[in-house]
Amino acid sequence: MTKLTTIRLPEDLVEEIDEVVRNGNLERSSYLREILKKGFLLDKQERLFQQYAAGEYSLSELSRELKMDPWTLLDALRSKHLHLNVRLEDFLDSSGLST
Amino acid sequence: MALIVADSSALILLSKTGLLRDCCAVYRVVAPASVIAEVASKELIRKFPDARVIADLLNENRIRVKNPGKSRFRFPASLHRGEKDALLLAWDTAGSVLATDDGKAIKAAKWIGISYIVTPKIVVEIARSGHISRERARDGIERLGVLGRYSPDIIAHALIQLSEVKQ
Repeated sequence: MTKLTTIRLPEDLVEEIDEVVRNGNLERSSYLREILKKGFLLDKQERLFQQYAAGEYSLSELSRELKMDPWTLLDALRSKHLHLNVRLEDFLDSSGLST
Repeated sequence: MALIVADSSALILLSKTGLLRDCCAVYRVVAPASVIAEVASKELIRKFPDARVIADLLNENRIRVKNPGKSRFRFPASLHRGEKDALLLAWDTAGSVLATDDGKAIKAAKWIGISYIVTPKIVVEIARSGHISRERARDGIERLGVLGRYSPDIIAHALIQLSEVKQ
């Protein structure tokens, strides 16, 4: 099911989109829906990664939100040049282990 | 022998460093079933060779599955099932240490008042035990920076702590 939404776009962007639609022999509405969805998912991912970095999400919560297993998620952190949300003081405060 | 309650991040990172088996040789390692499901499901074992290592250690009984009792905490923040179970199991198990590499789980551990340890520190401790050489530990810590996504400042501090280990 779809819902009608009206937005204003910069003229040059519309021209570029129309050119891609013409050249690719695409259906304009479907194409716009597709790129909007792609852009939205990318933006959602970025925002979730930022929330993880800020400590608002745990690794497993992020994994669930992104529908990504934790192994793949670590690779994704690597490709985005992001670090784990563990702080230096967490490392320094962590306990030792007796054998 | 210290008892480690591992969450999924710790199992994954120790496996990625190639030191999970060594960790299990030096310490007793337990994990809740929910954690195991997150890191070593049948599908993940097929996909990731490091997940297979976890499965093998489970089969060999070197990692034991243990579940926490009923939750008595209202955690200060939302957590995923595996992280919550690992925290509760560490709380339930006297003398245990929670192994986690998640900032939010660490915050919760501090709030509850349970001991925790992060993977770079575990690697230093395995070296301190004499089970692995400093060179092997150094390699593991460096891997934690690249594959494990630990920040350079933590890696630098872990390497300093490692250099102080007498062997």
